[in-house]
Amino acid sequence: MRLASLVRLISLLLLVAFIAMPQAFAFAFEPLVTPGAPAIYNQGSLFSLTLQHLRTVCLATIASTILAVSLGIFVTRPSGGEFLPLSRSLVNIGQTFPPIAVLAIAVPLVGFGEKPTFIALFLYGLLPIFENTLTGLTQVPTQAMEAARGMGMNTWQRLSQVELPLAFPVILAGIRLSVIISLGTATIGSTVAAKGLGEVIIAGLQSNNIAFVLQGGLVVALLAVLIHDGLGLIERAAARKLGRFVDEVS
Amino acid sequence: MIEIEHLTKRYGTNVVVDDVSFTVEEGTLTVIVGTSGAGKSTLLRMINRLVEPSAGRVFIDGEDTRAIPEDELRHRIGYVIQGYGLFPHRDVAANIATVPRLLGWERRKIAQRVDELLDLFQLDPAEFAHKFPHELSGGQQQRVGVARALAARPSLLLMDEPFGALDAVIRSKAQDDLLAIQRRLGTTIVLVTHDMNEAFHLGDRIAVMDQARLLQHATPAEMLMHPADDFVERLVGTAERPFRLLSLAKVQDAIEPGEAMGEPVAISDSLHDALSRLMWTGRDALPVADARGVILGKVSVGGILQHGRPLP
Repeated sequence: MRLASLVRLISLLLLVAFIAMPQAFAFAFEPLVTPGAPAIYNQGSLFSLTLQHLRTVCLATIASTILAVSLGIFVTRPSGGEFLPLSRSLVNIGQTFPPIAVLAIAVPLVGFGEKPTFIALFLYGLLPIFENTLTGLTQVPTQAMEAARGMGMNTWQRLSQVELPLAFPVILAGIRLSVIISLGTATIGSTVAAKGLGEVIIAGLQSNNIAFVLQGGLVVALLAVLIHDGLGLIERAAARKLGRFVDEVS
Repeated sequence: MIEIEHLTKRYGTNVVVDDVSFTVEEGTLTVIVGTSGAGKSTLLRMINRLVEPSAGRVFIDGEDTRAIPEDELRHRIGYVIQGYGLFPHRDVAANIATVPRLLGWERRKIAQRVDELLDLFQLDPAEFAHKFPHELSGGQQQRVGVARALAARPSLLLMDEPFGALDAVIRSKAQDDLLAIQRRLGTTIVLVTHDMNEAFHLGDRIAVMDQARLLQHATPAEMLMHPADDFVERLVGTAERPFRLLSLAKVQDAIEPGEAMGEPVAISDSLHDALSRLMWTGRDALPVADARGVILGKVSVGGILQHGRPLP
């Protein structure tokens, strides 16, 4: 446990140090580049690109969460039950449609930049959150629901005080999965001129600079690992409170 | 007082509860007993309108339950189910505070009420208030379930197989605790069970149901002596009858003047317990003492046995 915390801390410090002062790490990347080429990405600030990247992912995940959780709640109500198959197929299409294809379709409609990336990530992130919301809500013990009704909780009180808190760890696992997928997928957004860490990778590919590719990739990977881990901690704490243990979903 | 009038529930052509009427007096405990699928739970759930009746009405203290908004009605009626349905994400104190919180009680008043109930159910507030349901034993969960149902001081408590998930030893303790609490608070209770022993142990009155119909609603003694039909007679258990009668009668009913040797029996004991003591000690009679230990007379085997058969 302590070792794990130590690894966490070191990765975090490493990440922050690298995006804040990348030049300090030049020595590590110099062996990878042809003499004379820059060892550290020099076409923009890594720090602001990282923030842009996180921003896109964050906004897309929030939007997916709002839609997927609402949809999950709706189809588990008695009145929404018949929409379950329809919602499921819609969300599945969002997942099976390759993000790159979404970009290709979205650019003519909304133009270049962050918007098409946002749309692609949003659609791609729906499925895990939706499915986990369904699982979480249908796993709520029937006795707890019966007791809630019997004590005079109305529909809204049952949802907000019993169903959602009990489903929370499972929903969070879905959000975590969605964030991780989005962090990686967001790099392709740079092909349509969205600001993000994809820029660093693409710049590396274009100028045949392996160091750039590696830097973009490493920052994305470290972000993913740290966020995955952090959300996992919250999830386990929430589940422990309920007396159950969720398996690592990865 | 609860008046149940011609209560009926149909699902399509399937009649689950068929024209049931009876009255539950204030402060008494009525047990609805019957085989599984007899419609007991449905009947109970129609009282707090978890199931809407197809026909018939329920009056609580003269008020038609259909005139009260569902949720408000349920705030006023305690409800305990088998397995208790405690909220796994809330600690014991928060579970108990459920209805007071829904009613918007003040925080201080809620905390006070929670402590009071924990004390009443012999759960030390310091130890249990902040435990989560999965950290409790079955018996403790059961007590929290009943405490939660009583939190807003309902005058009526509905219980659906409240002891069904407990093992035999804890169950009989839980039944005695319930009786003691009911006597103390004067709560009217309607309890559903399939266990005839439980019905005789707890019920001031017993309602026997079979195949959606109410066969008999009577005091335990009446039911033993004059069962309404063969089914009730079988359910009561022909061979058990004399012993059940003795369980219902107290030593007080069979006390005779005179003296006897041996350890006295308490006047409040059941005749069943007294007879058991007589048989075990091999005596014909034992002295009877009141709560302070004063000898009031004696109780004899012959005297007790007379209470084990219907009066001529």
